[in-house]
Amino acid sequence: MTKYISARQAGIIAFLCILANKFLLLPSYMFKDNKSDSIFVMILLFALDFAMLPILLKLKKEFPEEKLFDILSKKITKPVTILFYMIFGVYFLFKTLIIVDVVYVYLKQQVYQEDFLAIAIMSIIPVVSHAAVKGIKTISRTAEFFLLLVIIGFVTCLGFSLFTTLNMPVLFTTPAKVFFSSIYKYTFSFGDFLVLYLIIDKIKIKKGEEKKLYKFSLSAMVLILSLFVLYYAKYEVTSFMHNDALSDILVFSVRFNAIGRLDIISMLTIMFIALFEVEIFCFAFCDCVENVFPLLSKPFIVAIFDISSLLCYFILIQKYERIVSLFSSWLSYVGIFINYVFPIICLTIALIAYFSRKKYEKLVDGGEK
Amino acid sequence: MSYFNVEKKVDEIKLTLNESSDFAYRFFDRNNQKIAFVYLKSIIDNTLLSESIYSPFQLFEGKFSIENIQNKIIKCADVKVIDEDQAIDELLDGKVILFTNFSSKVIAVDILSFPERVPSEPPTSPVLQGPREGFVEDIQTNVTLIRRRLKTPNLVMKTLKIGEESNTKVIVSYLKNIANKKIVERVLKNLSKIKTDGIIDSYYVLSFLEEHPDSMFKQIGNAEKPDIVVSKMLEGKVAILVDNSPIVLTVPFVIIEDMQNSNDYYTNHHYSSFIRLIRLLGLFVAVIAPGFYLSLQIFHYNILPLNFLITIADTTQGLPFTPFLEILFIFLLFQILYEVSLRLPSYLGLATSVVGALILGDTGVKAGLISPPGVIIVALSKIALYTIPEQASQITLLQIIFLVIGGSLGLAGIVGGMVYFINYMNTLDSYETPYLAPYSPRIEKDLKDGLLTSSVTEMNERPESFSPKIKERNHD
Repeated sequence: MTKYISARQAGIIAFLCILANKFLLLPSYMFKDNKSDSIFVMILLFALDFAMLPILLKLKKEFPEEKLFDILSKKITKPVTILFYMIFGVYFLFKTLIIVDVVYVYLKQQVYQEDFLAIAIMSIIPVVSHAAVKGIKTISRTAEFFLLLVIIGFVTCLGFSLFTTLNMPVLFTTPAKVFFSSIYKYTFSFGDFLVLYLIIDKIKIKKGEEKKLYKFSLSAMVLILSLFVLYYAKYEVTSFMHNDALSDILVFSVRFNAIGRLDIISMLTIMFIALFEVEIFCFAFCDCVENVFPLLSKPFIVAIFDISSLLCYFILIQKYERIVSLFSSWLSYVGIFINYVFPIICLTIALIAYFSRKKYEKLVDGGEK
Repeated sequence: MSYFNVEKKVDEIKLTLNESSDFAYRFFDRNNQKIAFVYLKSIIDNTLLSESIYSPFQLFEGKFSIENIQNKIIKCADVKVIDEDQAIDELLDGKVILFTNFSSKVIAVDILSFPERVPSEPPTSPVLQGPREGFVEDIQTNVTLIRRRLKTPNLVMKTLKIGEESNTKVIVSYLKNIANKKIVERVLKNLSKIKTDGIIDSYYVLSFLEEHPDSMFKQIGNAEKPDIVVSKMLEGKVAILVDNSPIVLTVPFVIIEDMQNSNDYYTNHHYSSFIRLIRLLGLFVAVIAPGFYLSLQIFHYNILPLNFLITIADTTQGLPFTPFLEILFIFLLFQILYEVSLRLPSYLGLATSVVGALILGDTGVKAGLISPPGVIIVALSKIALYTIPEQASQITLLQIIFLVIGGSLGLAGIVGGMVYFINYMNTLDSYETPYLAPYSPRIEKDLKDGLLTSSVTEMNERPESFSPKIKERNHD
């Protein structure tokens, strides 16, 4: 079988990455600063994020079979590339921790109703480690298998939330300064296309299949924006109090034919999305380490990920407030690098390659004439 | 003219076969021309021997020669001249061997005969409509059943002999214009690598064909009906027939195959789609239900609807076992009853089922040892298991795994377990085919025969998953 993943599978990975860290805590957290204008902050951040996609496709076109590490090594020297990959590693490790922590707190409050750290570790680590060892082909196929379930779950939550009192959120109340500073503050929650950059050599995009990537990415963004709108319309000024957006929008909804606990739909959806996301990030982290330390074996790198994520969790985070403050302070620098600096570098590399190719083609054509 | 000692040859064979009690021979002598008829009386047709082989010799008046014997005297269709060193193999294959004192060549006449079953509807694949013929133990009959449905010169039947002691005939069958050459070669390579003393049934071959032999998941398809095998061969699969087995193996295998049933193709496709969805639901209930119920009972009683929670609380109050042990106990009880009813004669099996299911179950509930919801959940999962009987063994193992996961890790564990197993199944590509096709990876064209099936008139292309040589079904 082919070692490549299809454009559709790449699109699904992007879809899950976009959904993952924005559907629980982010709506309420952003509300504190921007009130309902968070919707516009999201649109702006999504637009900036989305710009990474055409750059990725341009890079893929110029370097169809090459690994990102090799492309960067050739163009910006190996030591700088290694430094980049180390930053990527940190980005994926902390992104994993944030997702795990946010979902853990949600499950603790809504599902387990007590601390279940050992259970969480036993439920996540073997699954994630196995997936990371098996590679992106396995992960993307599994994500493809569960995609319909995830979409149905997500849309059902949004759909049921309509059957309650909704008021249009009051917009344009945030001062411009606060609004624009949010772009810096929440930037770590974005940059979701970085995974696709890392696996650029493993994606096979046939002619005309680029639109699949756009389609999945846009769908995820639309789903998240719908969630934001419905959530703010439902909870209005108390939105900052409800930390589990996807689950909370179902509360107080009309139950048709006395359907009992609808929140099991959101629970399962959240668990599936979070697990896939952690699998993808674990793989991405391992890919970074593998490129920096090529002699290490895959299972060993996965073990490094497991241990370092546990250590980071216990030493740095453990407290919910700490992780929340972490992703909007120090980690924002990493976010800025991933979202803005790195794509600009990639665009420059792609454009230089493009113009060199054109120049060469012109020379060859001239010679032939 | 040189003379050969036929008595000596007969004695040598007799010794080679350890003076087996079914070994028989007869001499015919005329004008110094001596012929020995050697055979195993347990596997030949004695009437045919007497009427078509021995009598013509007595009636023949000319001089015997190998050509005369082969072309004029013996009145059987399958007569061939072989070398002496092949004699034992041919003898064991149910042929009469003729040694002469005037030639070093040996004649083998096929009059193989043994008691055989008439093709009938197999108990594992009954149909409401559609053909009822099933394969039998005789490989030749099975070849006939396939050949009758595929009257094309493209049908290939490659014969192999496997098993040092059993010398079992194995036939690899495929349509050479459709089946992927790489898959055929891989099958032949895997079969040729088999080193074993005996092949008793096709399941012995199956283990050698699996590309992930340590996996608990089924990787080779099987069928007991020629119409199923032929339809699979038309998709580009390779069939493996094993002598003495009514089960024909097919490769490559994808898991969706077990969701399909021959009935589906003989009824309205809308109804077939509905039934396939029911089978999927059955699979889901069978694998997850006990573990899910346990996780709700132990960890997540808060997410149960209130009425259901009250019912469970009422019925489980005062039980001596923990929820996990209770479900495990009921589960094992069902498994024991299943094994017993399978092994016992049908009249005793029925009695055991009544005693087990009704008396033990009912008394267990009344005695306060087990709870009614627990019995219902386990019974439901055990019944649901047989919506896909071909996967029963795997599902049973998965039930236990999810029971343990649900009881120890709760809902997070169950979700993790599901993702883990799908991840794992995605690594089980064999014979160039993804195990979970056409859903993972999604193969758009193959979805026509997926869970939601299309009409046969719309299935114009062969499944891409099996990489057939010719994709269109209506090619010229």
